[in-house]
Amino acid sequence: MDTLHSGLTQTNLKNSPRLWAGLAIPGTVWLIALFAIPFYAVACIAFGTIDPIFRDAVPQWNPLSWNFVQARQIFSSLATGALQGVAIRTVVYVVSAVTLSFLIGFPIAYFLARHAGKRKLLLLVLIIVPFWVNYLMRMLAWVNLLSVDGLFTRFMRVFGVNYNWLDGSPITVILGLVYGYVPFLILPLYATLERLDWRLVDAARDLGANSRQAFRLVTLPMSKAGLVAAGILIALPMFGDYYTNDLLSRSPSTEMIGNQIDFFLNASSQPQNGALLVLALSIFLLFFMSFYLRSTRQQSKQVTR
Amino acid sequence: MTNESFRPMGRRDFLRNLAITSGAITIGGSLLAACGGSTATESSGLSIGTPQNPIKLPVTTDAIADGLPNESGTLEILNWADYQNPESIAIFEEKFGCKVVTSIYDTEEAAIAKLRNGTFKPDLILGMTDTGLAKLVAADLLQPLNKSYIPNFGNVISGLQSPYYDLESQYTVPYFIYGNGIGYRTDRIDKNAFAGNGYDILWDAQFSGKVGVLDSYRDTLAMAMFRAGNFDGNTADAAIIQKAGDDLVAMREATNPKVDILAYTEIPSGNRDLNFTWSGDLFTALQYLPEGVAPDVLGFWYPEKTVAKNDFMCITKNAKAPVLAHQLINFLSDTDNALLNREYVGYQPALESITVDLLISSGTIPESLIDALVTPEKYDAGLAQVSLEPAVDALWLEQWTRFTAG
Amino acid sequence: MSRNTQKSNSPLRFLIWGYIVWSLVPVMIAVIFSFNDGRSRTVWQGFSFRWWWQDPNSSVFQNAEMRNAIVNSLVLAISTLLIVTPLGIALAIGSQRIRGRSEKFVQGLTSTPLITPEIVVGAALLLTFTRLFTAIPLGFAAQLLGNVTFSLASVVVIVRARLVSIGASFEEAARDLGATRWQALRFVLLPMLWPSVMASLVVVFATVIDDFVITSFLSAGVSSETVPLRIYSSVRGGATPALNALATLLVLTSFAVLIIGLFGLSTWRKRHGERGGLRAALADVTQINS
Repeated sequence: MDTLHSGLTQTNLKNSPRLWAGLAIPGTVWLIALFAIPFYAVACIAFGTIDPIFRDAVPQWNPLSWNFVQARQIFSSLATGALQGVAIRTVVYVVSAVTLSFLIGFPIAYFLARHAGKRKLLLLVLIIVPFWVNYLMRMLAWVNLLSVDGLFTRFMRVFGVNYNWLDGSPITVILGLVYGYVPFLILPLYATLERLDWRLVDAARDLGANSRQAFRLVTLPMSKAGLVAAGILIALPMFGDYYTNDLLSRSPSTEMIGNQIDFFLNASSQPQNGALLVLALSIFLLFFMSFYLRSTRQQSKQVTR
Repeated sequence: MTNESFRPMGRRDFLRNLAITSGAITIGGSLLAACGGSTATESSGLSIGTPQNPIKLPVTTDAIADGLPNESGTLEILNWADYQNPESIAIFEEKFGCKVVTSIYDTEEAAIAKLRNGTFKPDLILGMTDTGLAKLVAADLLQPLNKSYIPNFGNVISGLQSPYYDLESQYTVPYFIYGNGIGYRTDRIDKNAFAGNGYDILWDAQFSGKVGVLDSYRDTLAMAMFRAGNFDGNTADAAIIQKAGDDLVAMREATNPKVDILAYTEIPSGNRDLNFTWSGDLFTALQYLPEGVAPDVLGFWYPEKTVAKNDFMCITKNAKAPVLAHQLINFLSDTDNALLNREYVGYQPALESITVDLLISSGTIPESLIDALVTPEKYDAGLAQVSLEPAVDALWLEQWTRFTAG
Repeated sequence: MSRNTQKSNSPLRFLIWGYIVWSLVPVMIAVIFSFNDGRSRTVWQGFSFRWWWQDPNSSVFQNAEMRNAIVNSLVLAISTLLIVTPLGIALAIGSQRIRGRSEKFVQGLTSTPLITPEIVVGAALLLTFTRLFTAIPLGFAAQLLGNVTFSLASVVVIVRARLVSIGASFEEAARDLGATRWQALRFVLLPMLWPSVMASLVVVFATVIDDFVITSFLSAGVSSETVPLRIYSSVRGGATPALNALATLLVLTSFAVLIIGLFGLSTWRKRHGERGGLRAALADVTQINS
């Protein structure tokens, strides 16, 4: 039902590009100046030089004169050197957290979409609530519970578990990420599953498939694109997360790439390294981002068609 | 540290050329001219004073004139967290009819970077030390003080009235003194655990997860050097710096330490058993003890040979309220005000009148923390930490990244 | 619901309620501890309003720094709204209707910020404001520009969804009746966009008031410290329950705005004869159509 598109392009609104362009220009200029150009600035700083006394970055605005000395050093450090641990850890933490989030989020979204019945609105509201509770507040809540005399720690001691949750434990960081991001997974998953044509699943069951087969052969293929997109949606911010880690661990042994970026840009005097890591992270994520944009565009086309 | 450590001519010329070609350091050149005859190291244009070679820092602007009226409005301070008594500040605000706002920094090098790029625009900086002073001066961030506003300057410990890093105290007035050592819980660790090489306890896996070290690359790398018996905390020796990095990595693997400056809350709360930190933190920690916990659970191991130093107060060149900034320096250098300030901060004010005996007699310091006090003897025996030449600094930072990147 | 759904869903029902408890109870405990009488955020020592307003120095409403953070947060959120709303509406309409080569470019440019990790945007803007656009000082000005940039895309998405559902027929009708293009836009389309505008206001307000990364990267000390920054810097320190109170206040503010928004949306819908109620309003602010 793409009435707007066809209506606008084919009939009487056809010859009015100037008004529409005029409306688009301020926002576009804004995004060029404050979104596109900043990325260029990051590159100019990453491939610039270093002030010899303050170790501050001296940007090189002319791409022809970019120097890649420091870039080579940082990239090889990420691949094989001091930052290798950070790179691997970041991927491992994010993959674990996304997987766990799916294990929790998928059944919930499935239940909401299919079985919630009369309680659906109530459940939906309750699941949306964490969306609106400040992320740091949610982490603060856990810091309080997990500290040495925190309620959770004391509770676990009853069962003989005496664990220092906040002492640089990877488990805490991964669970913290899950806790932080799982609400952002459930809603898109729910939207995907809600949109499915469940009659096809019922048909499969009628034709003799058991529930597992129906899930594997019908539900999953139909919802795959939406699932992947939802996974990417939470993986992207996790890759750049540093505050969860900082609040729940603050130990070198759990440093992720976001922590290193934060360190180099905000807590040290070496912004060039920070710029290089931002660049490395962006390049790495570009793949996921373009995949996400493509799949959502296809979805929205399917919806509007 | 001696001049010898910076002798290699090649690097010196290289750095100077870089400075000139990048056009960044016109100050460097003028500094060289300004203090050509001075005794300090000047291979990169940084003016670095050391106990052996004290320095009179170059001055590029005049101090404010005598007798100016106090500004009305706001005084902006840049300080460490919990490093000033809000009560003292409230008294100052009332007395001078102004408002004081405080921004927080948590590492010296980041603070300097942010002062340079305009993130911070304070009038008054508290708690910087000589490891950052050369850069502050080279970046032309400070203004010389007019002592006519600071009659209490005479209260400062006499040996610090013309310190090696700033002869004649042109820019700085000492604030607090402290030494580097290990704070610990006496209820969990015996004093004798520090017999032998006391630092080894930070590498002892039985305390894994219960250890913290300072988020300060100079202090913590130097600590690893002291442990290995190298007592030059300003070394330019690449092998020693590398070894310190190796040792910190080994520590990370053994005890998984936290790297921050929160010893003063984490030890009293019981989250940590021990923490390499500044001695004054343990006095700050006293007021973070949970209700019902006796103060003598806090202990401090003060190494025989370690860094003992003072930090200072200084005024920025572009201060909007320079007179008020002078007034606050003077205010905090008054004995009674300093004692009130100390009640909250815990650290020892760098005033002659506030002696160790006075502090002990105040009754607020538990027996177990007497060792954490910096006596004049300890101060004199303390090792200095001064600014590093940029090329050397790079080596230190590289090792620090190895440690903190896990 | 079909026939084979009832029997197997009790473990799922258990899971969903477990999840809800898990996701909400820790936060509730943190809220409760803001009323603790002692200094501890973890050990209960009796009920009091000490950390809300009774303590003359450290309570939320009396501590100068916390009050300062609250004011900064509100000022930043409202200023962002004032800029981003008109900018976003115009961009949504324009970007949806321009054709040709610029169409793809503008659409790419508007959708990318939505999924770029905040740290990347924050870092890029920090480097830009300190090295390139040095006329813009870090602090409020930079935070404002940063937050507008980051939330512009969400306004565009929300408004564009509404544009799609409205379609072009109303404007065409107005044109047939002799309205100019601008008049059709101003008097026909814009009023119909109101629900999406209100949803954008709610979403952007909540985003900005909760924002930590960009606001933190672009902050300049205490003069531009917002509530999330204050929370972040004190969580691991020896902060008192006043911190819980401050965080509670932040959450209450978001919810107040959300509820006002939802109420406004469903009233508007009712008055204009659109179906919906709470569920449609929820869909507006979450961008999940159900």
